[in-house]
Amino acid sequence: MTRRRLNIVLLYAGVVLTCAILLFPIYWLVVTALSKPIDLRVLPPNFWPEVPQWQVFAKVLADRPLLLWLVNSTLAALGAVTLSMSVSIFAGYSLSRFRVRGGQSLGLFILTAKMLPATLLVIPLFGIFRSMGLVGSLWSVILAQATLIVPVTTWRLKGYVDTLPRELEQAAMVDGCSPLGALFRVILPVATPGLAATCLYGFVLSWSEYAYARTFLTSAQGNWTANLGLTTMKGEYVSDWNEISAAAIMVAIPVLLIYLFLERYLVSGLTAGAEK
Amino acid sequence: MAGIRIENVRKSFGVLEVLKGFSLDVADGEFVVLVGPSGCGKSTMLKILAGLDDATSGQILIGDREVTDVAPGERDVAMVFQNYALYPHLSVAKNMGFGLKMRGMARAEIDRRVREAARILDVEHLLDRRPKQLSGGQRQRVALGRAIVREPQAFLMDEPLSNLDAKLRVHMRAEIGALHKRLGVTTIYVTHDQIEAMTMADRIVIMRDGAIQQIADPDTMFQHPANLFVAGFIGSPGMNFMRSMVTMGASGPQLRLFGQDVPVDRPIAELAGKPVIVGLRPEHFAAGPGPVSFTVTPRLIESLGSEKYLYIEVPEENRGAITATRGGEDDHRGDSVIARIMDVGAIPQSEPITLSFDPSRLYLFDAETHVTIAG
Repeated sequence: MTRRRLNIVLLYAGVVLTCAILLFPIYWLVVTALSKPIDLRVLPPNFWPEVPQWQVFAKVLADRPLLLWLVNSTLAALGAVTLSMSVSIFAGYSLSRFRVRGGQSLGLFILTAKMLPATLLVIPLFGIFRSMGLVGSLWSVILAQATLIVPVTTWRLKGYVDTLPRELEQAAMVDGCSPLGALFRVILPVATPGLAATCLYGFVLSWSEYAYARTFLTSAQGNWTANLGLTTMKGEYVSDWNEISAAAIMVAIPVLLIYLFLERYLVSGLTAGAEK
Repeated sequence: MAGIRIENVRKSFGVLEVLKGFSLDVADGEFVVLVGPSGCGKSTMLKILAGLDDATSGQILIGDREVTDVAPGERDVAMVFQNYALYPHLSVAKNMGFGLKMRGMARAEIDRRVREAARILDVEHLLDRRPKQLSGGQRQRVALGRAIVREPQAFLMDEPLSNLDAKLRVHMRAEIGALHKRLGVTTIYVTHDQIEAMTMADRIVIMRDGAIQQIADPDTMFQHPANLFVAGFIGSPGMNFMRSMVTMGASGPQLRLFGQDVPVDRPIAELAGKPVIVGLRPEHFAAGPGPVSFTVTPRLIESLGSEKYLYIEVPEENRGAITATRGGEDDHRGDSVIARIMDVGAIPQSEPITLSFDPSRLYLFDAETHVTIAG
């Protein structure tokens, strides 16, 4: 075997191993969901159930308001993404294009908000939302998540706008656009891949958020998000792991679908942002 | 269409002054080229003219209207950028019609003008394509098309040919020239390429370090450069420079070049005893004897087919004048001058050759101020 061929074999072996490690938890989630509860306690474990229990999904949907939780999660994520993007588009564009005194420091200051852990912000935010009467409302989660997402989306968009030639908006302005018109008519359409990637990133951040929902929404069952709902399925003494797994799969599916749908934009958005 | 008047425009970034009082009158329909080495302020001036950058002080008039503080879109000028700046998300037709749409023009009229411009520029078959599907030359045409559909008061062009390969550049240069003749729109064109400036301009503005060095038509610029910088910048290869003392001979003032006294018929008697910088264009050397002849062994001979470049060592006493031009393409040729000899047969390397020049062809520059000495 030549050295070159050996290298290729080792490379593929490494890729297969990495994929196996990454995919194993998902595989195990599916195995757990489709197994009978009793089969989950046997040793050695079964790597595929003898009779897959497909009805578990219907049972979870019948027993729990999972669809409502998913709708709430979707609303919260869409709200947070919309709110944060409407701020980040202007902030990212300004940070990229305008040279003002202290602009660089301001940009870094925005990032510090991301550096603070969510648990640190929960208490002051709770105080603020209580005084505003928002505790228990989905708006509390939307606002809180937007504050978490804004720094990241702002910097991603800044990075993306940095890669676009300044002459594009200059041409638009000579053609009769105002600076804002140039942003909306030229820069944003051209930045669609970057915007899509950033939106998706914000959506996933929001979708997987738990601490805020746990703190602000506990008392209002009708507004629970999917993550919060999932954790309530774990009993104090007994937990139906197959049902929890089935619910977890259903919670993961929307994000998976979005990834598949936007994959083309996501990849070009990520690479274009990295070009600088 | 309209003329353009730029009055004493200055631009500073903190203590750095990039434009030092730029004034220029451009006549209606004139093609003016701003040329100079990179960093001389020519692109900054164009951006200020377009309204994309603010002047620190000064005034700009397009036609009779003062536009110093007017937004770019309301100045009624069209700009062609170095990287074309075509909108990647729009088709060629929409790129060209964008400016008209912004002005609220009816769709039928936009369509008519876009088709007319596309016909002039021979891009009719590309109207439905996106910019990324076009070659460099086609993009350049579309960028020009986007400018001409607007029928603006003036075209501003910022090094529009520098992204094209050499052959296409020559072709597009001629096309832009023809387009200007056909449309007759006032054009201000920025380039660092003196050949573009010489071939396209009605008038050339040479800039250096934010200041205008000379404004003149190409022939005047070539034959009567205002100073050493202009003399070195215009012409390819650039003018040769040598240092010489002025002395008084029997028949009047004379210089010492290539080891011999060269009488010059110029009123420089008062400079006797002082050094001057002597300029001689490479093409003003001739093979064989002439008014002033000397024999040298060229250090290097480059043949370009129809012409040869002979690199000739400069005598010690004539050295030390060359670095003064700064910005010319031959700044660093050290202690040699170039003779450009046309239609000459084979010249053997490392053998002496007799060359000559006519002293009436010499240019004289003040050794201190570098200004051309009249005469």
